[in-house]
Amino acid sequence: MFGALLYLRLTSLRNTMLSRVRRLKQPKYLVGAIVGAGYFYLMFFRRLAAGRPSVHDQGYHGPVTVPPELLSTLLALGALILLVIVTLGWILPDQRAGLTFSEAEIAFLFPAPVRRRTLIWYKLINSQIAIMFTAAIITLVTGSWGFLGGSALTHGIGWWFILATLNLHFMGASFAMTRLMDNGITPWRRRSAVLGLVALVALVTLAWLWRDLRAPAAADLESYRTAAAYLNTLLTSGPLPWLLRPAEFVVGPFFAPDTPAFLTALGPALLVFALHYVWVLRSEVSFEDASIAKSEKRAAKIAAVREGNWRAASGAIKARAPAFRLASTGRPEIAFLWKNLLSTFPLFRLGTLVALALVILIGGLWIDVFPGYRGLQTAASAFAMFMAGYTLFLGPQLARQDFRSDLLNTDILKTYPLRGWQVMLGEILTPVAILSSILWLALLILLLTVHFHQLGWLTPSLRLVIGLGLVPVVPVLCALQLLVPNAAALLFPAWAQTMRNRSERGIEMLGQRLIFIAGQFVVIVLALLPAAGGAALFIFITQHWIGLPAAVAVAAGGVVACLAAEVWGGLWLLGERFEKFDLSAELRP
Amino acid sequence: MIEVTGLIKRYGAFTAVRELSFTVRPGEVLGLVGPNGAGKTTTLRCLAGIIPATAGAVRIAGQDLTADPVAAKRALAFFPDEPRLFDYLTVRQHLAFVARIYGVAHHEALAQPLLEELEIADKADQLPGELSRGMKQKLAIACGLLHSPAVMFFDEPLTGLDPLGIRRMKDSILKRARAGATVVLSSHLLHLLEEVCSHVLILKKGEKIADGTLGDVSARFANGEANVSLEEIFIRATGGTES
Repeated sequence: MFGALLYLRLTSLRNTMLSRVRRLKQPKYLVGAIVGAGYFYLMFFRRLAAGRPSVHDQGYHGPVTVPPELLSTLLALGALILLVIVTLGWILPDQRAGLTFSEAEIAFLFPAPVRRRTLIWYKLINSQIAIMFTAAIITLVTGSWGFLGGSALTHGIGWWFILATLNLHFMGASFAMTRLMDNGITPWRRRSAVLGLVALVALVTLAWLWRDLRAPAAADLESYRTAAAYLNTLLTSGPLPWLLRPAEFVVGPFFAPDTPAFLTALGPALLVFALHYVWVLRSEVSFEDASIAKSEKRAAKIAAVREGNWRAASGAIKARAPAFRLASTGRPEIAFLWKNLLSTFPLFRLGTLVALALVILIGGLWIDVFPGYRGLQTAASAFAMFMAGYTLFLGPQLARQDFRSDLLNTDILKTYPLRGWQVMLGEILTPVAILSSILWLALLILLLTVHFHQLGWLTPSLRLVIGLGLVPVVPVLCALQLLVPNAAALLFPAWAQTMRNRSERGIEMLGQRLIFIAGQFVVIVLALLPAAGGAALFIFITQHWIGLPAAVAVAAGGVVACLAAEVWGGLWLLGERFEKFDLSAELRP
Repeated sequence: MIEVTGLIKRYGAFTAVRELSFTVRPGEVLGLVGPNGAGKTTTLRCLAGIIPATAGAVRIAGQDLTADPVAAKRALAFFPDEPRLFDYLTVRQHLAFVARIYGVAHHEALAQPLLEELEIADKADQLPGELSRGMKQKLAIACGLLHSPAVMFFDEPLTGLDPLGIRRMKDSILKRARAGATVVLSSHLLHLLEEVCSHVLILKKGEKIADGTLGDVSARFANGEANVSLEEIFIRATGGTES
């Protein structure tokens, strides 16, 4: 039986890898893989291969920069964190033990003549693949944290020990808690018992420390070395070292500064791992019912995720009151705005926008009156700048309440008595409204808080004109930006569909996402060039005749007209494409 | 009324529908039948304006679907085999949305009796995720019927329904046809066609094998035998294979 299960696991793994390799024949995956691999090489592999420290660790010059006494403190702290995680694992769960199987595994393995112990063993083998992968990725991303000493290999193995032991512990704990439930001990009684035990241990430890230790003096907090020394004394006094010892065994290989220390740490870590393994395999409790329920839930989640519906996957969909009352007659595009607003957080409402604007206005004027609080102005303007930049560049990727969310409903949308451009216009209205609202609020903050005292020509009236000029620019600019991802969904629906499916993993998917973000940036820059160039030229030529404020106001009008023309052209083209669009043919492999 | 002349649909080199011509008059129910891959769904999707035909003409209630798709679509409703609904809209909100799209004034007065007829009035404030498969189907039907379409297309309308749901769906289709609607439906369930359809069109590999009233088509393939079932007619007409 072990052979059959091992065959299932290894064959599935091999076929997954083969299908990943095979799909590289498609240019979109091949290019994605090349870009993704390049990104990984430049960001992580290069410095790992060169043995150089992370860019974040610029002070690191030798094999170990963390002093030994600090290393032992870090070891104790790591153990403490592990202990807290393990304790939470005994407090939080309220369900029976349910191992995660796929629906196919349940259909084939549960009715098969397989012992429970064998199924547990199969799950352990399954989880090893994910654990090893996670350990490798963490090691890569952290650049092996060379300042701790050790090497990429010892850190990778160290991560594996931590994750694998935690996995075993949680599995064993879930079995033990199920047995407690079978014996009539409810989750609340168990929680009370665990919390009581934790409180008792904490009290004893505190009492011990109170007797032996003094409170930290100012000298203890002078530098990180003195603070670490005090912390070290704290963690190595009284019963704490004994309490932390098993957890220290587990994190020991990770914190080993060199090979001999690593080899020495391996023994205790292996012992803890082996004890957990025996504990789990000997814990035979009925997990089938919970596993089936878990697998059904998981299958529903996977189906929702594959459709790009993350809110449905998280089970967070709730019926909401609409943002406004939709009349039965009128422009049909407004119906899309109404519909798509229902899929957003209730925060995105006109009332909220007005209330926030009022708060900002009152706050901004108040700060202006009290010069003592000018520091707040700098903080507010920095926040507004960040908010505006983030919304402008990443907003269209995040606010997806448009055609991207309705891609799978295309057949229904196409039966509506609307022209293609009407559907596309209606679809982008919601993200335009959301992003514009955020940008308008950021603009208001900037108008109220930014004072360029050194720029004499930037008079308050000019500042106001620029601010007011940007108000109509914002929604057309957002609309222009949103045309790009919506065009991608229409022109490359298979790609957009894969991109929406965030459960799709792999280096090629990372590469595809990077290409898309870069592509969007280039398209927007090209689309903005005529409007921005024209406006700059107009202001340059006319400012001396009609004055700078008037030149800026007219130029802003020109920018709006130019961008609106581009948006209209884009919508018309997308509408034409939409009318000829056949999703079933496009998604055909 | 539906008038189809020389309808062709190609996907690259593959022809899914070949030179299809037929007419369905108000009050008639046409059943599209054929083996898997015969082109039934593609034909329905072309007729509903979901996908453009490669060649040929389709007139829906007198409106040319290619020249004036908006006017033609105003007169039709398409019911897919799998109800496609918006996750975030309740039953009532679905109807409000559809009413605005089709410009149905005072839709509340029409929506309530429709919900009651379809027995989902008590679910009016629930989301699709809270509805059973049958209830979702009913909601999709309510959305399609709200604007009182003159032409209706059903793609496998009985998929996933329980026996009571099947009975109600059949009654509903017949009721609309008797009221003057033109109905085209595709199904593998031949007994449904026998009970509901006045006409039948048999497709194979995108080509029309036969069409006409049930009696006409039966007579053509019965070879003089009496009481030959539609299933037997279907097997004889299609040669008993998909290819």
